[in-house]
Amino acid sequence: MKGLGRLALVFALAILPVTARADINALAEAAKKEGEITWYVAHYTSEGAEDLGRGFTEMYGVKVNVVRTTAQVAYQRLLQDIKNNQTICDVFSSTDLGHYARLKAEGRFEKYIPETPPKIVPTFQNFDADGFYHPTAAGLVVLTYNTSKVKPEDAPKKWEDLLDIKWKGKVSTGHPGFSGYVGTWVLSMKKLYGWQYFDKLEKNKPQIGRSINDTVTALNAGERQVAAGADGSTLFSAARGNPLAVSYPSDGAVLIVSPSAIMKGTKHPNAAKLFMEYLYSIEASKINAKHFGIPMRPEVPAPPGAKPISEVKLIKPTVAEVDKGIPEVIEQWRDTFGN
Amino acid sequence: MTATASTLDTAPARTARAGGFDSTWLLWIGIIAVLLFLVVSPFIYLVITSFQAERTGEFTFANYATAYGRARYVEALLNSLKLGAVSALLAGIFAVPLAWAVARTDMPGRGLTRMLVLATFITPPYTGAVAWILLAGPNAGWLNRFYTLLTGAEAGPFNIYSFSGLALVIALYSFPYIFIFTTAALELVSSEMEDAANILGAGPWRTMWRVTLPLALPAILGGLIICFLEAIALFGSPAMIAIPARFNVVTTQLFQFFGNPVRVEVAAAYAMPLLGITVLLVLVQRLMTHRKGFVALTGKGGERRPILLGRWRWVVFGYAMFVAALAVFLPYVFLLQSAFAKAWGRGFAWDNISLQNFRFVLFEHATAAKSVLNSFLYAGASATVAVFLTLGIAYIVARKLVPFGGVLGFLCVAPFVIPGVVLAIGFYAAYAPPPLSLYGTALILILAFTTRFLPVGYVNASAAIRSVNPEMEEAVRVLGGSRLTALRRVVTPLLKRNLLGAWLLIFIPATRELSAAIFLYGPNTKVASVMIFDMSEEGNFERLAALALILQVLTLPLLWVGQKALGRDFMLRRNAT
Repeated sequence: MKGLGRLALVFALAILPVTARADINALAEAAKKEGEITWYVAHYTSEGAEDLGRGFTEMYGVKVNVVRTTAQVAYQRLLQDIKNNQTICDVFSSTDLGHYARLKAEGRFEKYIPETPPKIVPTFQNFDADGFYHPTAAGLVVLTYNTSKVKPEDAPKKWEDLLDIKWKGKVSTGHPGFSGYVGTWVLSMKKLYGWQYFDKLEKNKPQIGRSINDTVTALNAGERQVAAGADGSTLFSAARGNPLAVSYPSDGAVLIVSPSAIMKGTKHPNAAKLFMEYLYSIEASKINAKHFGIPMRPEVPAPPGAKPISEVKLIKPTVAEVDKGIPEVIEQWRDTFGN
Repeated sequence: MTATASTLDTAPARTARAGGFDSTWLLWIGIIAVLLFLVVSPFIYLVITSFQAERTGEFTFANYATAYGRARYVEALLNSLKLGAVSALLAGIFAVPLAWAVARTDMPGRGLTRMLVLATFITPPYTGAVAWILLAGPNAGWLNRFYTLLTGAEAGPFNIYSFSGLALVIALYSFPYIFIFTTAALELVSSEMEDAANILGAGPWRTMWRVTLPLALPAILGGLIICFLEAIALFGSPAMIAIPARFNVVTTQLFQFFGNPVRVEVAAAYAMPLLGITVLLVLVQRLMTHRKGFVALTGKGGERRPILLGRWRWVVFGYAMFVAALAVFLPYVFLLQSAFAKAWGRGFAWDNISLQNFRFVLFEHATAAKSVLNSFLYAGASATVAVFLTLGIAYIVARKLVPFGGVLGFLCVAPFVIPGVVLAIGFYAAYAPPPLSLYGTALILILAFTTRFLPVGYVNASAAIRSVNPEMEEAVRVLGGSRLTALRRVVTPLLKRNLLGAWLLIFIPATRELSAAIFLYGPNTKVASVMIFDMSEEGNFERLAALALILQVLTLPLLWVGQKALGRDFMLRRNAT
């Protein structure tokens, strides 16, 4: 009778995924039967993603096929799969919010609201009002500098400080056409200070890299001294002993939220749901913090050198702003900076 | 590349001599079928995509209008062409004198020079570019610091973030192609021809210019074309250097078509003219080598003596070491420093040295060690397939066994010029879904690598086949042997060394292939290049350098085995036959 009940529950879960808020234990049982999930992921470092996958397997005995690539590649693979009626990807974790806006509009996601959101840091709650995708990773664009060339008291304190003539030839940034982090930062600066911000920045002749992490290289090499960089990669490099530090801007660090979603038609619905729950677990947050990501759960301390997210003044662009605004600022950027 | 010169001939097939059915036809058909499968299916997909509307899939020219309707995008294409030309020219300036000195003269340190060129060849262009940023960065580059220290000037003269800087870095890591092709060709030129020139009163320099180098022209041109195409298709170095230098090239522009909003149809359209450029190059090469005889392997012996350079030998040696310093010595100082550093930003200091990066990459990282193994396995399999396939194709084309053989030659060269990121989409679309269902398998990577490096195999194989005088095969056939017998018993043994050289020429870049691999790998088939790219995305420079070094060090025994197996005739090196 008990087995039958469980079967009924599984059945109910399978046909009523929209309304169901699963009991984790039942979900774990059903997930184990499915055996595996495939995770297209652009969040985290590749090592961090592998670690998270392994953590899930250890916890629930379900194998995770981790396909960690850049957001563009993950999205292209997914589009090709959809075109060919293949459902390979079960959980999709891109860093580009535009992907979510589009896929949601096309009805490619399975709606699922995890149990745990009330327990995560309030900043990340209720991200998508319709419950199709949920924030599972986050990072900040902050001011960063080379500590062997710049004393902490001389370091820039707010975004406008980068426009000071004393940083002429000493600023480093990424490129919005290549990095979602940089795109979101440019969008936020434009909203705060107007496009003049970048006209003035160009007078300081910044060195423009591709990825936001190119600022880490530029600072470490001593080629540049201050940057609009990412907290995670900068702190990771600093923790190794490189002469880097972050400065949280008083006018707000730009919050970059990266969601995850379950794909419609997934062959492993229970394992996928369980995985979403897992990404909100304390264990996953610990692994994330170990790799210098911002933990989703308030119980887990911020990575070494980082401020807890609750103490940071944040700029939080919306999904709609990002989706519509980034293509625009890329064009403006290319007009101003010439590439 | 030489055979492609004759490739566009549309001469009809020769009728089988002995009459009756020659079973080797089945082999030719098989080879052609494999080629069509490998190359044509992804290409058809791309061509169709370039004419499709984004949502509806309807036929449209709009993608071409978008791709070429803006000055910015056209400018990027022109930049690429210019970059290709300048890089290829520079690479030629590095490679041809070295090749001549090593193959034909008594310059000291010829073996050393060969080894250093090999060391250049096994350096991924990406790591070379990073090292050069550290060497010639305008503010903190070591060359500039050294210059200001020496002269007391405010700033140094070098700026890697410039068009010429990028061309230099690309040339430094692609010149081995020209070097290897050219030495192979020069070593086949018999001294008798040079003697004839000498007797007629030409001095050694004039002989070199008028006799020796012209004989190697097909090989030099083939190498130049490969360098040109590689410079256009490369993504890593332009991404690191061109973007800070504030200009775009085709690959960096293409990449942006994949950002939000994604326009893969436009990307396909944008890449199409590159195919036209390939056709053009093949035609140009054909014009330049038209009606000249380049057959050097006649089966009739011939003596090869080194040219005595006298005092000049040291000047030439100095030049070889200068090139080696730019490509190997200087960059490796920084690669080693980073790989053994706790934190590379702290520079050279005793307390900054650690083995931790190697330990991490080899033993602690979940997939790094396996990714290196995967790279070697897949590259080995691809090189083997590509060598035999291109040998077959080059033979079919050179001996005009089928009508329109030139098309086959073109198909072999085409994959090189389509930037990997676009080609990879074609591969994924052609191979991943049913009926092949190769998603996530090793085979999909092997097929992609094979296709991507067909041009290298083909250029090499066709030059080799062209150097073999058909008389030798005709002798076999007169004696009643089939074409297959001639191929197996005469051509292959004659070209054995050449084929091994080609195998390595494909194997080595295949272990570093990134743009297709990143699209096609699955959870269990990650390769080292993808690993390295991830680390670069993460700004994880110390571990990246360690992994790159491991990859390079592991390539060395292979070169050593090659040398053992072939004695002094390694890497296309050939003595008098």
